[in-house]
Amino acid sequence: MRIELKAVSKIFSDGNRALDNITYREDFNALAIIGPSGGGKSTLLRILGGLIEPTSGEVALNGKKICYDEKHLIQYRRKIGFVFQSKGLFNHLTARQNIILPLVNVHGYTKAGAGTTADNLLERFGLFRDRHKYPHELSGGQQQRVAIARAVAVKPKLLLLDEPTSALDPELTSEVLDMLNELRNEGLNFILVTHEMGFAKKACDKLMFIVNGRLAEYGDSEKLFTSPETEELAGFLSKVLEWNV
Amino acid sequence: MPIYSLFIKNNDNKTAFLPKAFNIVIAVALFMLFFLFSIKRLGMEFDFSFLWSFRYRLAQGFAATVELSLASLVVSLFLGFLSALANNSRILVISYFSKVYVQFFRGTPLIMQVYLFFYIIGTAWGVDNRFWAGVLILSIFEGAYISEIIRGGLDSIEHTQLEAARAVGLKSGQTMRLIVLPQIIKRTLPSLAGQFASIIKDSSLLSLISVIELTQTIREISASNFAIFESYIFLGLLYLTLTFPISMYTRYLESRYSYEN
Repeated sequence: MRIELKAVSKIFSDGNRALDNITYREDFNALAIIGPSGGGKSTLLRILGGLIEPTSGEVALNGKKICYDEKHLIQYRRKIGFVFQSKGLFNHLTARQNIILPLVNVHGYTKAGAGTTADNLLERFGLFRDRHKYPHELSGGQQQRVAIARAVAVKPKLLLLDEPTSALDPELTSEVLDMLNELRNEGLNFILVTHEMGFAKKACDKLMFIVNGRLAEYGDSEKLFTSPETEELAGFLSKVLEWNV
Repeated sequence: MPIYSLFIKNNDNKTAFLPKAFNIVIAVALFMLFFLFSIKRLGMEFDFSFLWSFRYRLAQGFAATVELSLASLVVSLFLGFLSALANNSRILVISYFSKVYVQFFRGTPLIMQVYLFFYIIGTAWGVDNRFWAGVLILSIFEGAYISEIIRGGLDSIEHTQLEAARAVGLKSGQTMRLIVLPQIIKRTLPSLAGQFASIIKDSSLLSLISVIELTQTIREISASNFAIFESYIFLGLLYLTLTFPISMYTRYLESRYSYEN
């Protein structure tokens, strides 16, 4: 998949400049966005997902410009999967119903067809036994896996994930990342905001490093981790990897 | 099992059926004894037998209270929901109008509203059907409380729920219908059920403008035979038959909801 950002900026109504003139062009299968907290990573992901509008600049996927008016955005969001940091499942619906609802109400599936699709996905990701549980009855890792299953159920052309594991315990983190890796091996493209450097390095082919709303460095993931060019990335990596085994 | 365990709550806060039933019976008996003792001191003799001859009027009054309460429940839910949405409106005058409404009707006694609205507003706008005037006054009063309940429900819906709804491609109408409303209903149902019990009790004040409901019926009966105490004791029991099941249902809903959190 090809992503193009042309001078993208986002200034919030309180004057906070979250993204500052980001220009970027890349072909990727799995793109990781890393950087310090509050640097604009989530804002960028929300712009890519059509959830918020950039103040200025242009975004294009596979050469197709995203048109930021609500009518087009609704159509656009339907082709994209989005997974939030936490609490993204609908509280009043079971795991199975969470997957079915968008299929029926947005994508025009019949109830039976949506049910089959949901069951197949739940089966495949080891969630079948818990399919009738409500989000509050599931572990954090199960919640995130259901959220990913809901997002990929509609066969999106791109999956966006906003720190999908940062609210999880380490052992739950790996069950989510394993699932993501499996989907990537099947050819699903995704963009991921993450603090999981091991996953960014091994499972993602490209990397964006964002600091204070600027794109400080970018390129092949493997290469950036082994030989960062900027002081900022080198400093950031040495800090986040300091206690790694 | 030691004998005191029949009277003391377990450490885990759960009470088995037997001690529960046993202690409820004792508590109710104590309560009634207190009343009976007071009556004894006054040297009064009660005779409830006259009530039987008024059974049709009482049944009518009872039915009228149920109808009045149900109609008021529907109208006050509508007003409360509207007011809660208005309160969150970005148009300031609408938002403040809702706030003024809630403050005024929650901050003044119902008895004042009943008189004021029936004799001034009712007369000025030509509302002369007492039943519907009563429903309207009661609904406006209860709607202010329901507005706050629903506003609390709206506030309790996390921002991520709305963002997730947008992300999966729902339109705003669908988000309201499929995501927001079901969650609000689930969360506010215990409080709303409790409010329904209040509506039933508060409807008794409509007897002041001669709406022929249960309280007014009892007032008329006791005015004709001066059996005030018997009449009002019986009145209390009739209201309890309506509010007690609702109160039990409210408890059940509350326990179910607290478990989910």
